[in-house]
Amino acid sequence: MIKYIARRILQMIPVFIGVTIILFVLRSPGVVGGDPIRMITGERAISETLYNQLVERYGLDEPFYVQYATYLNDLVHGDLGQSYNKSRPVAEILWDKFPNTLRLALAAILIEMVFGIIAGIISAVKRYSFWDVLVTFSTSVLVSLPVFWLGMLLQILFGLKFKEWGLPYLPISGMSSERFPDIVHLIMPAITLASVSTAYAARIMRSQLLEVMGQDYMRTAAAKGLSHGMVIWNHGMKNAMIPVVTYFGLDFAAMMGGTVLTETVFNWPGIGYEIFLAIGQRDWPIVMGATIIIVFIVMAMNLIVDISYAFLDPRIRYGRQVA
Amino acid sequence: MAPLLEVDDLHMHFFTRDGVVKACDGVSFTLEAGRTLGVVGESGSGKSVTAMTVMRLIPEPPGKVVSGDIRFKGESILSMSEKDQRKLRGNRIAMIFQDPMTSLNPVFRIGQQIAEPLRLHKDMSRTEAWAAAVELLDRVGIPQAEERARNYPHEFSGGMRQRAMIAMALACGPDILIADEPTTALDVTIQAQILELMQEIQQRTESAIIMITHDLGVVADMADHIMVMYAGKAVEYGPADEVFYNPLHPYTWGLLESLPRHDVDDKGALCPIKGQPPSLINLPPGCAFSPRCAYAKPECDKKVPPLVEIDNGHLSACLFAGDIDFICQYENRVKRGEDSGGDV
Amino acid sequence: MRKKQPTGEQVAPVSGDATGAAAVASTEVLTGPARSLRADAIRRLKKNKLAVAGLVWIIIVILVAITADLWAPYWLGDPVAIDSTTAAERMLLSPSVDHPFGTDKLGRDVASRVVYGARVSLLVGVVAVAIAVAIGLLMGALAAYYGGIWDAIIMRTADVFFAFPYILFAIVLIALLGPGLQNVFIAIGVLGWPSIARVFRSSILSVKENEYVDAARAMGSSTRRILLRHIMPNAVAPIIVYATMSIGGAILTEAALSFLGMGVQPPDPSWGNMLDDARSFMLTAPWLMIYPGIAILTTVLAFVLLGDGLRDALDVKMKE
Repeated sequence: MIKYIARRILQMIPVFIGVTIILFVLRSPGVVGGDPIRMITGERAISETLYNQLVERYGLDEPFYVQYATYLNDLVHGDLGQSYNKSRPVAEILWDKFPNTLRLALAAILIEMVFGIIAGIISAVKRYSFWDVLVTFSTSVLVSLPVFWLGMLLQILFGLKFKEWGLPYLPISGMSSERFPDIVHLIMPAITLASVSTAYAARIMRSQLLEVMGQDYMRTAAAKGLSHGMVIWNHGMKNAMIPVVTYFGLDFAAMMGGTVLTETVFNWPGIGYEIFLAIGQRDWPIVMGATIIIVFIVMAMNLIVDISYAFLDPRIRYGRQVA
Repeated sequence: MAPLLEVDDLHMHFFTRDGVVKACDGVSFTLEAGRTLGVVGESGSGKSVTAMTVMRLIPEPPGKVVSGDIRFKGESILSMSEKDQRKLRGNRIAMIFQDPMTSLNPVFRIGQQIAEPLRLHKDMSRTEAWAAAVELLDRVGIPQAEERARNYPHEFSGGMRQRAMIAMALACGPDILIADEPTTALDVTIQAQILELMQEIQQRTESAIIMITHDLGVVADMADHIMVMYAGKAVEYGPADEVFYNPLHPYTWGLLESLPRHDVDDKGALCPIKGQPPSLINLPPGCAFSPRCAYAKPECDKKVPPLVEIDNGHLSACLFAGDIDFICQYENRVKRGEDSGGDV
Repeated sequence: MRKKQPTGEQVAPVSGDATGAAAVASTEVLTGPARSLRADAIRRLKKNKLAVAGLVWIIIVILVAITADLWAPYWLGDPVAIDSTTAAERMLLSPSVDHPFGTDKLGRDVASRVVYGARVSLLVGVVAVAIAVAIGLLMGALAAYYGGIWDAIIMRTADVFFAFPYILFAIVLIALLGPGLQNVFIAIGVLGWPSIARVFRSSILSVKENEYVDAARAMGSSTRRILLRHIMPNAVAPIIVYATMSIGGAILTEAALSFLGMGVQPPDPSWGNMLDDARSFMLTAPWLMIYPGIAILTTVLAFVLLGDGLRDALDVKMKE
């Protein structure tokens, strides 16, 4: 078990190096976007002295590898640089925003688990029934729906129209107000962020359960005299849930990226909205810093998923290497 | 007193998009306590379907019992409530499946899986059932049963898994043990061990056994009666020795000839049956075996030959089974095989 | 070195005997004679009504996009140009006979813009996915066929790409490259290859393990011949399925990028930037957001349904 975990961690090292190299290259001169100072200053004309000062300040006159080493060193020490516009450390800005994104993502994961699992189970157990067709088709629709459009539709209907019609309505923007409890502010953004993932969760749950239901050991369980429901619940679910649980882990990380759209639609003051605003202001340290944080969360979740996988599946726990 | 198990003109059909598959089409047999019935046939002959129907393990739909009955100790299983059926399943009638690799649940401990029917049917507590499971593992010849019960299936070898499957089936002391090709997926040396174990268990527990196999050799020593199935129908039924030494159906002849027989000849060439089993959707109008039968005559394609008693308790579904000359063709062939084998 | 796939598949070998429960339930073993593979696939695809509906819709959208110049500007109005003399009285008109989808804040016909937006979406879908497929096929083939160090480098690189949430990476890339359609192609193409490479690599590997490739090798076929004759035809099905589904994904990504102001730039119409414009008029002019949204949804859905249908018809096993 420990060997397995150690192995997974070792396997992450090249990915970590690769990720940092890509991010480093992206913010480096000449690779994309040309002159990094121009990227900072934008269209504004600046004097040569200021230009040189900026070059020195950001260490852009150093050789490539020195810059990378400095970059790595800063990263390890949690230093993500200074925001161009807000003259505050990026880490500090993001640290303020992170709990908001976390709250949104957790709410979305919760929605996804409940609805995804239930829909998947119903659709697998009642295969080919009306419910199965409904679930299968609506997951296709959800997957095809632009999330930001879904967010806007919800805003129009439950925010604006409901208000117009004198019905109880939901706030369409921000994460707190005097009128509404915070949890009410969470409803529409969380549903929007969860939509696509819920559809995938339902599809995975369905296909896993169907696959498990065709396995020989399910027949063995039925031959013991267990009822159909018990066979599925006792013997099927544990097997079917292993990939689903790992999907939730990976999806939680993927949601971090998806927050840019959802948070922008709902003006949710999280990391995603911050990235959107920073791009508009060409505040690259914030964009890069937020990206690094999100990528690290993804990698950490990958590791957690791998480890929890080993806990859930005895075949891996006992050192049988599948890799 | 009613026999332990009676299967009476059972028709289990599958209703699929491509048509009705008559997987089990008019099968009858009886099984007395402590006896062994061998059910023999190729893949798709309906032998597994028959057994699974007795267990009520066929999903319906697509399956459906069109007609016929299954009686356990005189009581019809088919008209029982689902709940009463479950009380029999795994308790009075237990089943061992072909592939021990896939028939055990990979995420539960062996002991848990053996304890499960005990907890279900015998109302045992967790600890009682676990102790009983360890004992059962020991009884089927797993060394260090106490430790082994805590293992997961992937830590067991194929033979050990099949022993665990047997332990699971034996847990509640069933009246009938249905073994569906229990040795097919195993190495030859392990096969013999498993068969030996089953015989030993039968002697000890007085369970009746239905042994399903495509290999006549497997049931040769074990079975009291043999039923040979082809295309969903029983084509020959009788006492094991009779079927073995005086087979009355060309299909059985084919099965016997494709078997390496230690008692007759080791060197003679094996003769596999030519061709493929027919599609069970569009069966030919006459005898289903006639297209592959080396002895077929025009009459064979006219109507389906009924299974009739030829000799005392020995039934055959060949039109010519009563014809001595016809039967002698087989006898002569076997003899010729012996002679030529002797010459080499 | 194969990447571990987190499922229980590898422990469940296929049951050998046709009398197993699965075979009993499906009874496929008992049915009809073997047909040609492609004809069989087409027959199965035709049976799938949703997939056929998807295909029909895709063809309609393609025809509309191709012929737009011939009719849209005359029937509906110019999608881009603003007629300053009439703009004031024409702006934000609700749907009518003259303007079936209404007009936008600059008095342009929404229907015409939706029609021209289809060009952008289809172009992005096809070009970006073509780039992704081209890179992915090359990388996947290199990794699978040469194995060893090639495999390790390529698949680790793919892992690095997978560590980035897709949409975030696309946003950051465009932020750095600058907005515009060309950069959208590049971003989606560059980000899409690892999935294709993985799919292609694993299907090559699975075909490679098949006995008939061993047989061909034993008979002295050259590597290239084996690749072309035996592996390609079998590995191509998953790629077709994957590419079809990816086109839907690419259209969604372009819409998202344009919505954030990073894709197609105004005044050129794209479904995504039309939705961005519509945000300010959600209550007063809801038609501005309804029609482009429906256009995205139906077109992406068409590709998803067709992809699902192809997957089932070609019998491709896929991770969701």
